[in-house]
Amino acid sequence: MADVNFERLFDALSSPHMVIDREWRFVAANAAYERVTMRRREELMGRGLFELFPNEGEGGRRLKASFSRVFETGETDTVAFIPYDIPRPEAQGGGMEKRYWTATHIPIRDAGGAVAFLMQNTVDVTDIVRLREAANLPFRSGETQLLERAREAEEQHRALMAESADFRRLFQQAPGFFAVLSGPDHVFTFANDAYARLVGERALVGKPVREALPEIEGQGFLEMLDAVYASGEPAGGEAMRVMLRRTPGQPLQESFLDFSYDAIRDAHGRITGVFVQGMDRTETVRTQRRQRLLLDELNHRVKNTLASVQSIASQTLRSAPDLATARRSFEARIMALSNAHNLLSREEWSSAELRTLLDNGLAAYDESRLELDGPAVMLTPKASIAVALVVHELATNAAKYGALSNDTGTVGLRWRVAAAGEGLSVEWRERGGPPVSPPTRRGFGSRIIEGFVAGELGGTCDVDYAPEGFSCRLALPGDAVLGVWR
Amino acid sequence: MNGGATGLQGLRIFVVEDEALVAMNLEMMLEELGCAVVGPAMRFDAAEAMLAEGVAVDAAVLDVNVGGRPVFPLAERLAAAGIPVVFATGYGREGLAEGWATRPVLQKPYLAADLARALRRALAD
Repeated sequence: MADVNFERLFDALSSPHMVIDREWRFVAANAAYERVTMRRREELMGRGLFELFPNEGEGGRRLKASFSRVFETGETDTVAFIPYDIPRPEAQGGGMEKRYWTATHIPIRDAGGAVAFLMQNTVDVTDIVRLREAANLPFRSGETQLLERAREAEEQHRALMAESADFRRLFQQAPGFFAVLSGPDHVFTFANDAYARLVGERALVGKPVREALPEIEGQGFLEMLDAVYASGEPAGGEAMRVMLRRTPGQPLQESFLDFSYDAIRDAHGRITGVFVQGMDRTETVRTQRRQRLLLDELNHRVKNTLASVQSIASQTLRSAPDLATARRSFEARIMALSNAHNLLSREEWSSAELRTLLDNGLAAYDESRLELDGPAVMLTPKASIAVALVVHELATNAAKYGALSNDTGTVGLRWRVAAAGEGLSVEWRERGGPPVSPPTRRGFGSRIIEGFVAGELGGTCDVDYAPEGFSCRLALPGDAVLGVWR
Repeated sequence: MNGGATGLQGLRIFVVEDEALVAMNLEMMLEELGCAVVGPAMRFDAAEAMLAEGVAVDAAVLDVNVGGRPVFPLAERLAAAGIPVVFATGYGREGLAEGWATRPVLQKPYLAADLARALRRALAD
């Protein structure tokens, strides 16, 4: 550090710099300042700034106000877009040329901490002003206008600084993920909170993608980044599957991302990096898959139920003596099926309780003539529907020919489960009805009982047409029973 | 339907269907077509036991999902024995496992005429 000659450094700065004291007299100026003012240093030193360069216009007032602020507050101040004409060299036609400057005023303190000097750095912004004019057509010329703009520009500059911080916060906290990758190795220079969450809060900034996220090797993303960096053509995907380590130390997790890669270019149009943005769609994709499964399952269930209804319709119609009887039987069977569905859907198709099933199925009959007895038993959906339809057929038969066809007969319905995991036995016993004789033909009712109990549930069914009353003993295997409470 | 006009009369058809009502209706349809029903087997293990004993049949109608189990292992054994297979399902053709997608499929609910057509196709293949 001792070798640095600050005076020579000051002199070598390419933009104009000068220093004034509290009376606004020159105490230093560099070579660039000499060039633009076309004054030699000896002419400047000790002289007042406005004595040498009178400036009574708005521009001068703004400069003076800025100097006062810096000496009073000790804070750097900027004056943007000051118009100041300088002589044009003879070789370029002579005369004056209108140019614009932005001046930055920096306080320089003495050993005691007081602001003793002020350093001014001026930047020629004429080209920028001309661009602004071109961009703001129609342009009304005149210094007042321009000064208004200069004030505007200063305000904009301050607002932009604040906005830039706001934007950064916005990006940082946005629900979408953002990252900026730099150079051909795609080194992270920025990654927002959502991006960090996506990759298990790993440290990213300063690392190439390959190193920061080793698991994405071979999944096609690095190749896409290389292509965007090489060609400048944007790339991306919707609901693309990626295996990511979303929690440190845990296995890779399947994720789905909407994302895009866009080339970042510098002022000369050269590609310097890739801007990554996207949304984590994992939950959406999973929800869609679940919905698809549910819809398929619902469709399957509806089709199967329609096939059951079709069967009930065609067989009821086949065996009924007349249309009016067929209609009553058909409706009653559909209602029995529907009641069982209601109970099951209340339990989300997991199970139904036997007693509730029986109460529902026998609700149309006189309670005082029914004797129900048995433990609380939970049945599988299949067994629930079977029992509902079987009991419906038994009750219908009893009402037509058996114990419920007169005013005095009774039905005893008892069920038992011998031990946990064992089958369920159900006994339907009619007493007090008209004398019983075996039926001459096997109707749909008895085929339903046989089909459900023996066929579908793999149980047994014994019927007894004893003269004192019909009885039926059903034995359902253990896998029809989900649970028992005694 | 007249059994003499279906071209299927006298055939023995193995039926695997886990829903009692659907099985009963299928049985009735097959009888109307003049076929003799072997089964119906309504549980996977019952169907498996029947196959193990050896069933002398001309074709089979198989429910794709038998009590929560895919029927394809049974279909393979039937196919290996040269017995033509028709699938019945609530899912449609998408419910068929790879390798079976070109076989005749009955989407539930179906009519006797659909059943006859599917059986004739299976027997012709």
